[in-house]
Amino acid sequence: MRIVVETAGDDFASRIVQMFENVINQGHGSLVLVFLIGIMFGGIIQYTRVDKFEKIAGFSMLKDTIVPKMLFLTVGLTSIGLYFMIDAGAAHYHVKPIIWQGLIIGGILFGISMAILGKCPGTGPVSIAEGRIDVLIGAIGGLLGGLVFTLYYDEVFKPLMGESSGKLVLPELFPGSEETAVLIFGLVVILVAILIPKVELEDEEENRRLEEKK
Amino acid sequence: MNRLPWWMGGILMSGLLLMTFSIFGADRPIGASTYVSYFAGIIFDLDPKEYSYLREIKDSGAWEGVMLLGVLFGGFITSVFLTKTFRFSLIPTGWKKYKNHSIISRLLWSFFAGFIMIIGARLAGGCTSGHFMSGMSQIAISAMIFGVVVMATLVITGKLFYNTKDNA
Repeated sequence: MRIVVETAGDDFASRIVQMFENVINQGHGSLVLVFLIGIMFGGIIQYTRVDKFEKIAGFSMLKDTIVPKMLFLTVGLTSIGLYFMIDAGAAHYHVKPIIWQGLIIGGILFGISMAILGKCPGTGPVSIAEGRIDVLIGAIGGLLGGLVFTLYYDEVFKPLMGESSGKLVLPELFPGSEETAVLIFGLVVILVAILIPKVELEDEEENRRLEEKK
Repeated sequence: MNRLPWWMGGILMSGLLLMTFSIFGADRPIGASTYVSYFAGIIFDLDPKEYSYLREIKDSGAWEGVMLLGVLFGGFITSVFLTKTFRFSLIPTGWKKYKNHSIISRLLWSFFAGFIMIIGARLAGGCTSGHFMSGMSQIAISAMIFGVVVMATLVITGKLFYNTKDNA
């Protein structure tokens, strides 16, 4: 049985309901599953503490390497697993296009802001949920950024992104030996994750507080 | 121990990504920056009929919007019960150590960085989650270009923006 709720309004509450409605109908997992994916995502990030300023801004100062180690390990493991899942028909590619200008200009802005804020759009909400007001201010800046991008998308940002040069995944460059290419990529990335020297920038104030709580 | 080691985090995150990608899960990648523009559209009451970008991100924005609610909930619960780090704060310890002790400075820089972060992510079509984790896992060339540019800019900015000498 499928229940369809009609919410035609364009006020804030209706649009939030439309968001849920959209997810229910778009066929990318049930509402509960999408919410659960979020919980696990937030939980893993919070429990590994990779959302911390000391981890992300710390990496930009090369005083902490937990973020790249975890990122590379995730990518290495997932790339191998995903390739065989796609091969078996259990998943699909969702590749983003190569838009040179957008990727380079966007990447530069993103890298600068990630170093200064010490968060990214995935880790930021986790820090806000931990009570970080400075990150909440960053999110308000982000909302205004999203507003400006939406308002001037057609006139400014779309031309700035430039043309797409198509979608490409590395294994396509090795026809006939795609499997080997994926395995080598995955293993090399995992090896990089292991070989990056482990250095950590501690949050001494927080450690002291946690120690006192015990 | 109120922190998971990096390798455990990598294994768990990989499992979550694979589950999300699979046809038994959500049959899509994880992304975490489209929702910002999506919510901006709702909060500032922009009509999708007038703004083509809102129409483009209608589905992925909604999906990530629901996921974000989960992220906030999961992050909150974990910080209260597992890491026990929940508390209201205005300035990170590392900022005090390597930048300054001014709350105003931290808040202004945060606002500025948040603003250009979302413009940057939307220009590139993704962020750390969408490009770096999900894209790189598909060994997509677009994700590699983004990854290299971000890593280089991140490290250069870190060197220039902070006083990285330890003079404690």
